[in-house]
Amino acid sequence: MDLIQNLATGFATSLTPANLGFCFLGALIGTLVGVLPGIAPITTIAILLPFTFALPPASSLIMLAGIFYGAQYGGSTTAILMNVPGESSAIVTCLDGYQMAKRGRAGAALSIAAIASFVAGTIATIVIATASVPMSALALKFNAAEYFSLMVLGLTGAVVLAHGAPEKAVAMVLVGLLLGLVGIDVNSGSPRMTLDLNGLTDGIGFVPVAIGLFGIAELAVTLGRPQDRDMLSVKLSSLLPSREEIRACIPAMLRGTAIGSVLGVLPGGGAALSSFAAYGVEKKLSATPERFGQGAIEGVAAPEAANNAGAQTSFIPLLTLGIPGNAIMALMVGAMMIQGVQPGPQVMVNQPDLFWGVITSMWLGNVMLIVLNLPMVGLWVSLLRVPYRLMFPAIVLFCCIGTYSVGNTVFDIWAMLLFGVLGVFFYKVGAEPAPFVLGFVLGPLMEENFRRAMYLSRGNPMIFIERPISAVLLALTVALFVILVLPAFRKTREEVFRE
Amino acid sequence: MPLHSTRVNVPDIAFAAFLVGLGAFAFALTAELNMGTAASMGPGYVPRGLAVIIMIYGAILGVRAVFAGFQAFPEIAWRPLLLVSGSVALFAVLLPFAGLALTSLAVVLCAGYAAYDVRVKENAIAAVALAAFATLLFVAVLGLPIPVWPW
Repeated sequence: MDLIQNLATGFATSLTPANLGFCFLGALIGTLVGVLPGIAPITTIAILLPFTFALPPASSLIMLAGIFYGAQYGGSTTAILMNVPGESSAIVTCLDGYQMAKRGRAGAALSIAAIASFVAGTIATIVIATASVPMSALALKFNAAEYFSLMVLGLTGAVVLAHGAPEKAVAMVLVGLLLGLVGIDVNSGSPRMTLDLNGLTDGIGFVPVAIGLFGIAELAVTLGRPQDRDMLSVKLSSLLPSREEIRACIPAMLRGTAIGSVLGVLPGGGAALSSFAAYGVEKKLSATPERFGQGAIEGVAAPEAANNAGAQTSFIPLLTLGIPGNAIMALMVGAMMIQGVQPGPQVMVNQPDLFWGVITSMWLGNVMLIVLNLPMVGLWVSLLRVPYRLMFPAIVLFCCIGTYSVGNTVFDIWAMLLFGVLGVFFYKVGAEPAPFVLGFVLGPLMEENFRRAMYLSRGNPMIFIERPISAVLLALTVALFVILVLPAFRKTREEVFRE
Repeated sequence: MPLHSTRVNVPDIAFAAFLVGLGAFAFALTAELNMGTAASMGPGYVPRGLAVIIMIYGAILGVRAVFAGFQAFPEIAWRPLLLVSGSVALFAVLLPFAGLALTSLAVVLCAGYAAYDVRVKENAIAAVALAAFATLLFVAVLGLPIPVWPW
């Protein structure tokens, strides 16, 4: 009955008026950016990060989490009504959702998307609550060697599941690790690669890097592309799905939730991958696969359930092991560290109210989202009439003010600009920024654990194989690399990302 | 020999050059740092190791790119890139002495022209509105310690 007691602790935190408010604000902003194509949740979280520093840690994490899963709801709205995915995780929802809308079943598709997200969100909250206790217990047994191997596994997973060329993702991880080491070395006190700049003694700021890569670079690239946003006016006749539609959806929803919950936990996984996988599975299992792409309602329910479940369960490795599985979770690490919370298993022990507060807020956020999305769909769609040319200067300004406010120094603005330009370069050569950010966040942690493990073993690298948990983690890493070079996997992987 | 009659993959070789350059730079920067031993690593051990790995890895990618088959470097949309970067630079230069209100105005005015479909009047109105909104929100409501006016 610990679970109930833990949830009670959590609700005591998440149900305070202030935290309810931040949860709502996060869900609202998340829906908004989910609806608007061209503004990704990662961009939004990066930009809002500096403004959450003044909040208490729980409120700040509750709000940032709300943005992430809120975007999964919002992304489906434009996918269904306009064939425009608001988020990468909503790309598959376009396939059948838009076809349903064309046949006059837009309302049903929207409702099913929201219900599937809600069901998945509820189940995922329970999954997080039950899985995190044993995970934390396991993590408390971890020593330096295990932590190092775990991070190696995590980064490898991020490479395998990254979009684009995996060999470039490997390079980006390495570059991230290297740049993460800039600044004073904690063990010896000597400055490293600081170019004698005062602004670099504490390392390259996390906020300028994140906002530069995901804010400024993203804007410069998006503006260079032609803006096409045809408004196909689809009538919203009835929001209610028919009984047969609901019956067809329930198993799809549950399978989607299961797939999303598992893939969300994997390093490199998360919302987008989950929705692709869930769609593929539904199509394979269906007795009538030819309906997929023609407006099959299971093709909406399964990926929508999966992306929401995946978005939420990707918090498990972050909250229990302290290891971010994807770039958004890396931003969360940044948010926690600046708040003075060291992510890891000790959070659950030392700050149960924070830990359970964030988890329970996810369920509350899902309740708010269903209210925000269904009756107010018309309002969200009308937002799409605001042209991008009016939105992006505001984003540029917010990026600048946000970055400046962290340390009240223009040094960070120049750093942000540098990473913005670098981000455009990375985009042009086909290198993803997400593995870079993961490496950047994990760099100092990995070095510390590597040094400590090697110190304990008196310089013998066999320690990583001699300790059983570490050996298993490294074996999994090797397995991932083997899978990556297998021609069969490469082909499927390319197909999945092309769809 | 012009590049397009070769088998060079230009984006890949550009990325490889970036890796080798960055690795070499980091290697030079860490030259003075104590390496220590594997059992007791100095501050230079891990960064130098990474720098070497990045250089070698970049060199391998570079060699591969030479024979990968020709691919041009994708076109860069210079106008958005320069104007967005320019407005960020403007923020950094202006803020310390012009204050937030005027800086915001200048940043939005400049950034607006990054869009190919900019409208002069609309952009000016947006600049005034956003400068007022940002100043109110960040200084008056959120209380960030940023000077508002140059005086």
